[in-house]
Amino acid sequence: MKHKITENEIIKMTNQVFEESFEIETEKLQPKMNIFEDLGLDSLDIVDLIVALQQKFDVKIRNDERVRDIRTLEDVYRFIIILKKEVASLGTE
Amino acid sequence: MKRVVISGVGAVSAMGNDVSSLVKGIEDGRSAVQYMEEWNQYIGLRSLVGAPAELINEKAIPRKNRRSMGRMSIFAVQATEQALSDAGIEHEELTSGRIGCIIGSTMGSAKSLNETFEIMLPQKDLTQLSSMKFFQCVSHTAAMNVSQCLGITGYVLATSAACASALQAVSVGYDLIRLGKQDAVLCGGAEELHPTVTGSFDVLFAASSSYNDKPHKTPRPFDRDRDGLVCGEGSGILVIEEYKRALKRNAKIYAEIIGYHTCGSGMHVSQPDKKSIASCLRQALASANVSSNEVDYINAHATATIQGDKEEAGAIKEVLGDLTPVSSLKGYIGHTLGASGALELIVSLAMMEKGIIYPTLNLDNISPDCQGINHVMEPVSKDISIMVKNCFAFGGINSVLVYKKL
Repeated sequence: MKHKITENEIIKMTNQVFEESFEIETEKLQPKMNIFEDLGLDSLDIVDLIVALQQKFDVKIRNDERVRDIRTLEDVYRFIIILKKEVASLGTE
Repeated sequence: MKRVVISGVGAVSAMGNDVSSLVKGIEDGRSAVQYMEEWNQYIGLRSLVGAPAELINEKAIPRKNRRSMGRMSIFAVQATEQALSDAGIEHEELTSGRIGCIIGSTMGSAKSLNETFEIMLPQKDLTQLSSMKFFQCVSHTAAMNVSQCLGITGYVLATSAACASALQAVSVGYDLIRLGKQDAVLCGGAEELHPTVTGSFDVLFAASSSYNDKPHKTPRPFDRDRDGLVCGEGSGILVIEEYKRALKRNAKIYAEIIGYHTCGSGMHVSQPDKKSIASCLRQALASANVSSNEVDYINAHATATIQGDKEEAGAIKEVLGDLTPVSSLKGYIGHTLGASGALELIVSLAMMEKGIIYPTLNLDNISPDCQGINHVMEPVSKDISIMVKNCFAFGGINSVLVYKKL
């Protein structure tokens, strides 16, 4: 049976994406941090954030409108948690 | 017309990541060519030798600048920083609009191009592509990245003419300064070593394949036993500037550029042609108002291909005779393609400064079809006033630069 990913694992893996793809120090990765103003990402980085999250969590989010509402790191965690639940409920995982 | 001088140099090559290690390696007669073990996996790739540079300290470039750079653009930024520092030009001056950036290459980052296709093609899926791949792959990637990273607001151009790219970049910069359109230009070339690059020559039987077990013995320009070129990588950048500006700054002047010519052969995409090479040499000398007996040294293109070396030797013999010393530097650092014109020009300037001509490495027996010119086979001490640099590219593109000690 496939392991069901926990919320803590999602947070840890999302933080890994920010560390590996955007070279952000671990200490800066606090939930309330604004990914643009505090963590320094720009519009081009968002394209790469989507690619990295897709690879990390095996999801398709390139055309998901909810990406546009993401502002904080916590928004990213929440988005992935919801997405994983949706995928699980569809029985495709 | 304004006069133009070379006032700064920077280099990243297989010999090391600065100009002094490049010159020292050549002075010591060392070959940087290696056996490329990981290339063994490619079916049909017979040439398993290359001259790789080392990517070091790249994180000194801020992430937002570095993210759009492939390997070659990082080399170009590092070489440009060295050249600026050598010339004593401050970063603040780069925003004046009077300093340009012209960096040529055969193409964009070969590694990034390959990665892009590897991501995209198996499933015909673009959704996993990074936004940065485009910026790493475009033909003007080095010029674009250097100018963005350093805030250059003058002319930004990319001369894409394979092995003649860097020399064309210097020539275009020379014209811009002569015409008063720019005060100084950072110019040169950059290139990347990759099995797809070596492979493109190997399929044409132009890459060395008989020396995989003794890589230091190849390439062998002008030699009887030459069997093709060996690809290298890196970047060479020169600061060229208006003569009076350099004087006013009390800058170190390496040489004055006094003439150049570039032309097409108009006859074949891959076969070099003695007649058009000779014509390019003649027109470059004429533009410099220099007669053939005034040239003290020719830094040849000579990549160690069977046809290319023969045609170049024949053209030199026809235009300059058998007295002018000739050598090629490809045996030391391989053929750095789009970077070769600049890297080899930089080493030539060191020869001019030191009064010594470095010999053609691996030239043990002059090939019968390359005879009749004055091959330098051992280091030669000589007071050098006027030099000629040759670069010839696939596509029948010839480029020759003439420069003079002040």
